[in-house]
Parts: sequence; structure tokens; C-alpha cells
Amino acid sequence: MATAEPPASPASWKELLADRIDPDLGREIDIFETQLELRKQGKIEERLFAETRLRRGAYGQRYDNGQRHDGLVSQSLAFPDVPTKGPHTMWDAPGMQRIKIPLGRLTAAQLETLAEVAEDYSDGILHVTTRQDFQLHFVHIDDTPDLMRRLAAAGITTREACGNTVRNVTACPYVGVCTDESFDVTPYAHALTYFLLGHPDTQDFGRKFKVAFSGCADHACGLVHMHDLGYVARSRTGRDGTLERGFAVYLGGGLGSLPHQAKLVDDFMAEGEALPFAQALARVFARLGEKKNRGRARLKFLVEKLGFDELVRLVREERAKLPADARWTTFLDDLAKHEERPLKPGSTLGIGTFPAGFAAWSATNVRPQRQLGYSVVTITLPLGDLTAAQARALADIARRHCGDTIRTTVDQNIVLRWVPDAEAPAVYEALRDAGLASPGANTITDVTACPGTDTCKLGISSSRGLSSVLSEHLAKRELDPSVRRLQVKASGCFNACGQHHIADIGLLGVARKVGNHRVPHFQIVLGGETTRNAGAYGLAIGAVPSKRIPEAVDRITDLYARSKRPDETFQAFVQRIGKLKVKQLLEDLTVVGSHELESDLYSDWGDPREYTTGDMGVGECAGEVVPFVQFGLAASEREVFEAQMLLDAGQPSAAARRAFGAMLTAAQSLARTQNQDVSDEADVIVAEFRKHFHDTGLFHDPFAGDKFAQSLFRAHEASYDDVAPDVAHRQIEEASLFIDAAHACYTKMDTA
Amino acid sequence: MRAPTRIQVKLFASPATDVPSRAVIPVFHRWIQTHAIDELLIDVTDYGHVPRGPGVLLIGHESDYGYDLGEGRAGLLYTRKRGGSDDLGERIHDATRRALRAAHLLESDGSLAPLRFDTRELLFRFPDRLHAPNDAATFEALRASLGSTCDRIWSGAAHTLSREGDPRAPLTVVARTETAMALDALVRRATG
Ligand code: SF4
Repeated sequence: MATAEPPASPASWKELLADRIDPDLGREIDIFETQLELRKQGKIEERLFAETRLRRGAYGQRYDNGQRHDGLVSQSLAFPDVPTKGPHTMWDAPGMQRIKIPLGRLTAAQLETLAEVAEDYSDGILHVTTRQDFQLHFVHIDDTPDLMRRLAAAGITTREACGNTVRNVTACPYVGVCTDESFDVTPYAHALTYFLLGHPDTQDFGRKFKVAFSGCADHACGLVHMHDLGYVARSRTGRDGTLERGFAVYLGGGLGSLPHQAKLVDDFMAEGEALPFAQALARVFARLGEKKNRGRARLKFLVEKLGFDELVRLVREERAKLPADARWTTFLDDLAKHEERPLKPGSTLGIGTFPAGFAAWSATNVRPQRQLGYSVVTITLPLGDLTAAQARALADIARRHCGDTIRTTVDQNIVLRWVPDAEAPAVYEALRDAGLASPGANTITDVTACPGTDTCKLGISSSRGLSSVLSEHLAKRELDPSVRRLQVKASGCFNACGQHHIADIGLLGVARKVGNHRVPHFQIVLGGETTRNAGAYGLAIGAVPSKRIPEAVDRITDLYARSKRPDETFQAFVQRIGKLKVKQLLEDLTVVGSHELESDLYSDWGDPREYTTGDMGVGECAGEVVPFVQFGLAASEREVFEAQMLLDAGQPSAAARRAFGAMLTAAQSLARTQNQDVSDEADVIVAEFRKHFHDTGLFHDPFAGDKFAQSLFRAHEASYDDVAPDVAHRQIEEASLFIDAAHACYTKMDTA
Repeated sequence: MRAPTRIQVKLFASPATDVPSRAVIPVFHRWIQTHAIDELLIDVTDYGHVPRGPGVLLIGHESDYGYDLGEGRAGLLYTRKRGGSDDLGERIHDATRRALRAAHLLESDGSLAPLRFDTRELLFRFPDRLHAPNDAATFEALRASLGSTCDRIWSGAAHTLSREGDPRAPLTVVARTETAMALDALVRRATG
């Protein structure tokens, strides 16, 4: 046997890839590597370093403060003694690397590179997020510069994937091939992405800023209304008879703990104005947006503070002052550059014998394109995950059947576009061989979930654990077609990364105290919709223990299948029968037996440890708790539900007043633990709550600070005459969160 | 050659004795609680929903332990991520020793009966494309160290080493012997 020469001493990735990386990007990564070194030597302050790494997409992960409850005791994780990579963040603790994929657009080669870095630096899993990004988990900070270089060599950046920056610009995955769209927004979204990336006007935000594009107004994919800035493609005939392109532009939307719908700025903004308008808005947001209180720093709060019209006036004024920039419009000269060209001619799927399982898969996962003879194929990824080997298989399939037309979706799936119809069976077989041919894309079994307690520092409940079980459970059931079409989305906490507000059935992770123990729960959120670009947000109707959520979902969907009218949507059905009926249907599921009798409820899905919220890093607390607190909190939950009933009945003023009443009840029940003589007077309750809970920091949330207490103070000062429905809706949402925060505070007090 | 930073060693479960990956979750949690392994262990993560995926992973600081479903065959997958010796032979041997010890711990856990590992086959993978590119030269450079570890744990029994898998994947070498041996004997030889 011939013996090969031993490989020469290896170069670094920096040397190996030097001529394949854009020099500017390469320099940025070199600077980041130096910053790592300086931080290790203690020459950069930890907060500054934390924001620096966040702006390069390197994020913290659960337990990175070096503490973890193992189910019996809280253990210190003895990481080596080196400087932190941020406040309370151990250098050696595994972290998450977010990778920006503008519009979710990928080539086969890029997918292969992602697979390589997942294997060499992570756990071999690529995770697609609800913003069309990828995330790698369990990455060591020391590995990130090389990881970034390898991505940069493939044309991918992680810059501004996290931090107070313009996050990944998203767009419908069907743009350019959709039957509904006005025109393909790809070149516009691409131009805006790279115009704003690293732009000096986007470097001084108090919080993140999210932008989305949609090809049409009515369908789901762009989710424009939940974004800080959203563009919906519009065409019209100009005075000279030619077709003009532009956008309906929206601003001020967002989910998170206090969701807001974006409002229309302009129903036809000329295409050449899209970029300068974004720049002007960025300047105003950077200048006037909140910087100290993170909980009120998103653009939606600036809208609230200044008023929508005033904000728009300021942005227009800013726009008029902007020095002209050629990049605003140069891309318009070459829109065709972004047009995808099919790899193969279109074709027709004939009649014949197809592989087993093809029919069911193609019914949900194949969607015809506007261009005759082609389809978009959706690859359903369980919880957004695929292995490196699957990513390579997918790259092969793309190369063989459709070329570089891969896109990630906000539903945590991947699509292949421009698949010739006749090749769909072959694509199915290849996907099946790779374990990627699950049917049910965008149906009830295709559950969306944020990372939750699996890896997120802020997670309260296991959204992934639940979603995995729920999806398997629903896949085994014979479901009515109307139920099959529903969407379920789960978030592990009120930050709403799982986008639960816009699902037919949204699930929001919360904790409840039962006896001396905590029980993971999910609030069931009804009334949301992804259609009309996330046209409505749902509200919570009550919390059910996590382990009983599959049963709760069965009951709700069975009722819908049994009692809906022909063609009645789920939202219309819930509205007609009333949320009270749904709540009553679940009433027995909310009763939690003792730890001895129902111990299973006291642990979370996929995690046999006794459930705790201690891993979130709960702060100090004090006080004696008397049992009536729980009664008070239960009463407040009932009141907030009644507020929803009033809103549904068309009485927004009464609804808002009742929601405020619910907050008062919760505040009073806590205040009485400190002063038993607190009266029923709103002024007295608020004053006592402020003194004992706000001013002492006892009510502060580790992440949101005094945000929830402030919502009580605002509600106290508000007028309840002539309240608009959207204001009442928000008041109910705030009341619901305030009550959840009261539960958390009570738990803290009891633990102390 | 310089030792690859990342080294993986997998022992496959014997056919018909493999267990659902989720059965391993409580076992890995117990390893953390009881410090069953003398390493910094951090958390357990469940990828049981991913076909042919990592199954269940026990994440550590220097190493990960997984009940892995890759290759369509369940098995114990050990991953050395950082730390340890820079010497190629020692690094491979240490990874093998830790993999065997973890497999033995799983076999001994009553909750996982009838789980048994097939001791006639070991998969070595090197997810470090800088120091171990997936090519013939690297395979040849690794051959002696891999052979020496196999000689030791299989007590000199005849074996083969073959480079397998997708050339785009990390370099993967499968070692096979005809002779069946008890897992605890392999652990003893690897440790002794
Ligand atoms: S919703 Fe909460 S738990 Fe889920 S990823 Fe966002 S912050 Fe983490």
C-alpha cells in the first residue's frame, strides 16, 4: 500500500480563506477576534464586550451564569476561571450563534458551509428561526471568529444578527413565484438589507429593529403588521399609463410582551423612497427612542409616546433633510439581477404510479408556482431542526432539481422553488431517503416553537418539549380537514419569539405555584391570525398545566370540528361561541392535584427534573405570604377574562375598565401581604403597591425590570371613557401580563 | 500531524436491544446529579424529534455524550470538544476510553434494559476540517494511532479500518473486528 505524505502543518482558517473573504468583512472579523483577546486580558469592559459580541450574533445561553438546578439542588458549574463575556456570563459557557440569512435566501453551497460549521463548532444541528435565520447552539466563544470566517467565505454574515440593531430582513418565501403578489420584492429587500447593515444611522438604537417585506396585502407570509417597519408591494397605473411600483408602508408593529399592530404610513410610497424612508426612521428612532428602559425601547413605544402622526411628521421632516445617497435608487437599474432562473424546463406531473406517501406529502408540501410547470416544495423541519447530513442531502437535491433556489421560512421550514412538476416524485423520494419528507407543512402538526427552556436564558416553560410532543400527538389523530389547517405556535415566555399571538392556537409559557411547588403551564391564546399579514393578535383565555396542553388542544379542536358552520374560520367560530365556552371546556384541566398524586405535572416536557423557575436567575425578595394571595390572583384572572368578554361584546370602554380592575385586584392581593388594611380604593392600592413592591424592586422582573408595575401606574392614570377597541385590547394584554408578574412575584416571596 | 481538536467515537447498539432515545433523558440527568462522570457536565438536550439526528445529548464543557441516532443506527456517541492531550495517539485513545466507559454506564443502568452495545465495531469521526481534512492523506496519517487503540482494546485481534461516508462530511473511519468481546473487558483494557 502506498503511504501518503503526512499532511503539512495546517494553516489557520484566516490564512486558508484570505482570498475568499470580502476584505471589509475579513477586517471586521479580525477586529472581533482582537476584541476577544482584549476582553480575556481584562482590557475591555464586560458590558461593552457583551454588546460587541451580540452585534456579531454571538448570544448567551441558559446556565451561562454558572448556575443550574439539577432537580435536587442548584449546582455551580465550575467553569475555568477566566473573565466573563458579559455580566454574569461565564466565558466558557456554551453560547448560541445566530446567522443572518436575509430573506431566507440560500444557495446549495451555503447550505453545505452551514453544515460544516454546525459539525465543527456546534452539535451538528442547524436550527431555522422564526426570522428566517439559522442558529447554532452550544458554541464556544473562542470558536466564533473562525466560524464567522468560514461563513464569510460563503457570502454569509452574522453581523447585526443580535443586539440593538436592524435584525434580519424577512420576506415571504414565495416572492417572485406567488400567484398573489404585485411584484417580486426580493431586490428591494436585498437592497434595504445591505444599505442598513452597518449604516451609521442604525448603530445607536435603544433596542432591536425589525423589517419585513410582503408581496401582497392579504396572505400570511410577510407578517408585516408585527414589524417595526413593513413594506407591502403595490402597483398602480401612473399618469402616463405605465405601471408604477411602490409599497404600502407600515410602522410601529411588534409582538413581545405588549404586542402592537403596525399602522399605515402611506398606502403608496414610490419604490425609490423605500430606502430613504427607512433611513429617516432609523435616525428618528436612534435620536428619540428610549435608551434606559429596555422594556419600553422598541419603536412601538415611541409611537405610543409621541403619537403616530407626530412620529410620521418627524420622519418625513428628517427625510427631507437627508443628504442624497446614490444607493437609494441605483439598485432599481438592475432589478433583473435578482430574478431566479429555473434550472430545468417546466413540466407536467402526469398520471401514473407514484411512490408510497407521495400523495399525502404533495397535498400539503407542494404548491404550484405562478409560472406554469413549476412548484414550490416545502421541507417540514421538526421544530426547525435539521442535521448537517440532511443539509448536505438537501443541497444535492437542490442542485439536481432546481438550483440555488432555497429559502428558509418564518414557520421554521425550508422551501425549494422552481421544482419542475414532473420531478416532484423524485424530489419526494430523495427527501424521504434523507428523513426530510414529513407531510403536513403549515398544518396543525407543523408546530412553531421558540427555544424556550431548552437553551434560552429567559425561558419559563419548555416550548420545544411541548411542541414536539403535541406535534407527534396530533399527527396520530384522524383530524377534520378544517382542524388540520389550523396553526399552533408556542413561546417559552412573554417575549413571544414563537409568535404565539398570531397563531390560531397560541401557547405562552408561564409558571404557577401550587402548594410549595411550581407547575409549568401554558396560557392558551385564541383569536390571532397569520393571514392579512398577521392581521390580528390573540388574547390569553387561561393557563393549563403543560402536560395537559395536548388534551386541551384536542378538546378545542374537537369542538371546532363538531360545531363550526360551513366555511366558518376558527377565529369566527371562537368569536361566535364566545371564549367563555372555550374556557369552561378546559376548566377541569386547570385544577392541579397534589405533588404526591400528580407528580408528573410538576415537571416539564422532556425534562424529568422537578420544575423550577430558579434557573432564570430570580432576584431578591422579601415578605411574608398569606394564603389569600392566591385567591386574589385567581380573582384577577377571572376579571381579565371578563374584560375579554366585554371586548368581544363590543364594549371596549367597559372592557378596559374591567382589565384595570383585574390589575387592581392582583396588586391589592400582593399589597395585603405587607399591609392588611389596604382598602378597595384604587388610589390606596396603587400607592401601597408602589411603596412595597415597585420602590423596593420586589416586583421587578429579571428581564423586563419594572415594566409590569409601570403598566399598572399607566392604567391608573388612564381615562376609561370612550376607549378604542385596540386600546382596550392592549389594556387586557397588559393586565394579563401584570397578573403573570404578580404570580412570579408571589412565588419569589414564598421561596425567600 | 497535529491532533484534531474534535474527535468523535461511536459504539452502536446491538440490533434489537436499542431503546427509544427519550428513555435516556432521565439517565443523563442522573449523571449530572450524581457526578457519574468526572467532567463538567452542563445540561441535557433532546433531539429525538430529528430523524437520524443526535437523539439525546448530554452537553459538557470538554466533552458531549449522546445517545445518537445518526447513520440510522442508535449508539453511544462521545465527542471530545476541547482540552485533553495534544498528542494524536493519546487523544484518540482517551476519546475511545471515555466512549467505552459511558457505553458501559448505559448498559449497566437497569432502566435501559435490554440495551447492549456491539463491541465489534467502532466509528471514529473527526469534525475538525482544519486539522483533519477528509482526504486520503489524513486517513493514512491517522491509521497508526487508530490501529494502536484498536489493538489495545481488542487485545490484538485482527481488525480493519475503512474510510467511509460522504466526502463532504468530517473524515469518518470505521474499525471492525470479527471477534465479539464483553464491553467491560474493553473498558478494562482501555483503562489499564
Ligand atoms: S419567547 Fe422567551 S423563551 Fe422563547 S426564545 Fe424568546 S425570550 Fe426565550
